[in-house]
Amino acid sequence: MSTAAPPQKAAPHRERTGGRLSNGAFALLLTAPGLALFATIIIYPLVSALFTGFFKQDLRLPGREFVGLDNFTYWLDGDFLTILKQTLVFTVGATIVPFVVGFALALALNSGLKGSGFLRGLFLFPWVIPGVVVSFLWMWIFNANYGVLNGILMKAGIIEESVSWLGQPGTAMLAVIVTKTWASFPWMMVMLLAGLQTVPKELHEAASMDGAGSIRRFFAVTWPQVRGVASIVLLLEFIWNFQHFDTIYVLTGGGPAGATETFATAVYQTAFKGFDIGRATALGGLWMLLLLVLVAVYLRITERKGDAR
Amino acid sequence: MTTTTSTPLSGTDRLRTSAPPARHARRRRMRKDLLRSRIVAWTAVLVIGAFGMLPVYWLLATALSSPEQTFQFPPKLIPTDITFSNFTALAENDQLITYLVNSLIVASITAVLSVVVATYMGYSFSKFRYRGRRSLMHLVLASQMFPQALLLVTLYAVFSSFGLLNTYTALVLSFTTFTMPLCVWMLKGIFDTIPDALLEAASIDGASRWRTLHSIVAPLAAPGMIAAGLFAFVRGWNDFIFAVTLADKEKQTLPPGLVSTYIGEFQTAWPELMAASLVVSVPVVVAFMFLQRYLVGGMTAGSVKS
Repeated sequence: MSTAAPPQKAAPHRERTGGRLSNGAFALLLTAPGLALFATIIIYPLVSALFTGFFKQDLRLPGREFVGLDNFTYWLDGDFLTILKQTLVFTVGATIVPFVVGFALALALNSGLKGSGFLRGLFLFPWVIPGVVVSFLWMWIFNANYGVLNGILMKAGIIEESVSWLGQPGTAMLAVIVTKTWASFPWMMVMLLAGLQTVPKELHEAASMDGAGSIRRFFAVTWPQVRGVASIVLLLEFIWNFQHFDTIYVLTGGGPAGATETFATAVYQTAFKGFDIGRATALGGLWMLLLLVLVAVYLRITERKGDAR
Repeated sequence: MTTTTSTPLSGTDRLRTSAPPARHARRRRMRKDLLRSRIVAWTAVLVIGAFGMLPVYWLLATALSSPEQTFQFPPKLIPTDITFSNFTALAENDQLITYLVNSLIVASITAVLSVVVATYMGYSFSKFRYRGRRSLMHLVLASQMFPQALLLVTLYAVFSSFGLLNTYTALVLSFTTFTMPLCVWMLKGIFDTIPDALLEAASIDGASRWRTLHSIVAPLAAPGMIAAGLFAFVRGWNDFIFAVTLADKEKQTLPPGLVSTYIGEFQTAWPELMAASLVVSVPVVVAFMFLQRYLVGGMTAGSVKS
């Protein structure tokens, strides 16, 4: 958790003499370079994206034509619900599964195992390496012809012939979620472990003296203490997954037959393969609307916790 | 601490031997409970460890195998003839060297730019109170949650109209969209830990506000600034979506470079790709060894990973 500032802080330079600017003006001046960058590379492009959704515009050509809501109805009458559903399947799957795995590992590492510091470092590897490397590795594991997963499952007699994990609609989404889980659970583990370490040991000892079993202790002692961290971790991961691109794009490109198409891949493909940036930004606008709700919830929660002060 | 508590504890232990049988039963149960939770803990570590580490093993094993060996089915789980030829092949590939150099340049410039800009902004957020501050902070926090794929569409158009496509500038600026918010939040957290009294003392001694920031605060915050820079470097190094879209072969970085080199071929050269993947991962892993201490702070402050 970031170090929270003390509740109310007197401006340190209020009594300054000599400076010609007031403190407020000085503080704003400090933010100026950052704000200028922000305005040009984030705010302006995003705002202009919201407008582009109302035009017919080709990425490669100058000029555009106002078409009203055409681009929006194109999606709403078409693939919007399918894409929304698939985005949600991916997002929920790639949030819940790593959370469970990461939490289980955090609990295990927190129970006083020897070498848990070393293990924590080791387990971070899947999270720190570049997303494309994660994709390459799992692409190779899932490979239909020479992949190690098929090899092991066949030796164990679980499958009889090779499965094209990424090549068929039935398994592609599952494979993508497994891949993303591998890359995300270490982060969940570290965050939850940090939360668990704030739980006073005495509480556990007292509870177990009173005869509470380990499951009872988990719900009565541990969970109330880590609930805050858990909700932030879940929400952040949900927001990130809702707009996740790399893993899906490299593994499947949204295929096969659109089975792993999410907002991120659909917007990208429409803009950079179909060159139709009117339609791409229209879908992006709908997407952002949904994201804004999530971000608002996130800001509220961090606000309440005092982190965003 | 343990030595002081051990004496009274062993005293109670002695008492316990003469305690009623219910106490005995409870102690025994607690011990059994502890043993059981140990077993559960180790099982969890082993199962999750297998899921987490076997792919890493496979990455290494494939990188050290000959191409012929990887085109066998079922695959050999333990490679028999180990070779480093996949790594030497990378060093001889000029295009990959270009990607590597691009990655180093772009990620470094991004890190420096982000830290410099974020230092002023983070300091302003941390040490001053003024109207609009909270809204600005929320804006920075929320900005990293906007969808990159959408931002990219119009960013592409903007860069295109300024003739900036396929330049380092475009890559640095686009990476800054996600590294700057991260650095601002990390550095704000670091400035929060510097006591206000220090700034007041500097001010009483007659140091100007600029001087206070540059000669007193910045040196104190230097480790944090380096950590923020490393985080930014790693994020830039790992980026795929911006680099693959905004630059071509000459200016592209390693992640999209590897995709265009290896993926989509008729038969992917898996051992070479795995070797290349290891090489790309090395700087990141090294950076994180230094970042251990800042890990949790950096992770939330910046909402590091997308």
